[in-house]
Amino acid sequence: MSDFDPSAFALARRGHLYEDFEVGLRFEHHWGRTVTAGDNSLFTTATCHWSPMYLNAEFARAHDHPDVVVNPMLVLCTVVGLSVEDLSEAGGPFLGLEQCRFHRSVYPGDTLTATSEVVAKRPSQSRPGMGTVTWRTEGRNQHGDVVVDYTRTNLVAMRAGRT
Amino acid sequence: MSEPARLTGDATYFEDFEVGSRVRHARAATIGEVEGAILAKLVMNTAQAHWNEHYLSGSPLGSGRVVFGLLTASVTIGLASQDTAENALGELGLDNLRFRAPVHHGDSISAYSEVLAVGPADRDDAGVVTFRHWGVNQDAIVVFEGERSVLIKRRSHWGIR
Repeated sequence: MSDFDPSAFALARRGHLYEDFEVGLRFEHHWGRTVTAGDNSLFTTATCHWSPMYLNAEFARAHDHPDVVVNPMLVLCTVVGLSVEDLSEAGGPFLGLEQCRFHRSVYPGDTLTATSEVVAKRPSQSRPGMGTVTWRTEGRNQHGDVVVDYTRTNLVAMRAGRT
Repeated sequence: MSEPARLTGDATYFEDFEVGSRVRHARAATIGEVEGAILAKLVMNTAQAHWNEHYLSGSPLGSGRVVFGLLTASVTIGLASQDTAENALGELGLDNLRFRAPVHHGDSISAYSEVLAVGPADRDDAGVVTFRHWGVNQDAIVVFEGERSVLIKRRSHWGIR
């Protein structure tokens, strides 16, 4: 026997909708993430990217790195991941990513943080109740150095179109 | 350790890449729990469509978990890596990434690459190669495409003497 009624609980909504984004608005994304050697090995092997630069520390040291290099795709995915709640979680599909540059190597033990700025928005012509939003995002290490930056565009739901 | 060049192939130095050359990479990979849901959570992607089997039921994206697009891109680039970057010094950047169709757990991705450009780098021992990559599912539908620039060792400086 249970008198549990889920409709009596308010949903703790996460994320932002189309109307929340204005060009020039900046976000300092939550949490940060220290990338470990285990993260790098799991990600790199699971994506079939068996490069010794990412998986053989002696090989990486022979190329003047202090340790294995963290796979840049893991760096990119983590910076995007940190930005998801603020930018795209409530929204819609990922449309594209442009002008991504890897500015310096990341090593196990480095800590990534992410910031973004809204650079464009417009209502979707083909999808009523949706718009496209474009952000410029920077990922930094613990020293404040930019390690990756890129421009990302998503389809984002409008509050007006939401049930 | 032994000379680094003995650990990597001899057919992927900068001098080996010609504009217009195309390759279908040898291995394809199925996206499952590890490549999809676990990696999405590992990289802090909080969008539950990537790791809640029932969230998208009845939506146009199809039921089941939809794979984070950059993980599809990462698997495509990983499958291409031995033929494109085994002798790389580093990844320089990505551009024009497009996610053409949704990928779900159980789909298998194969990778195709074309050399778009080759050119000098800001160092004498390496050059820059730009590739276009395609990720294609088991039904021959393109799910991902994008461009990638890589800094690659020159054989003249790094090859086995």
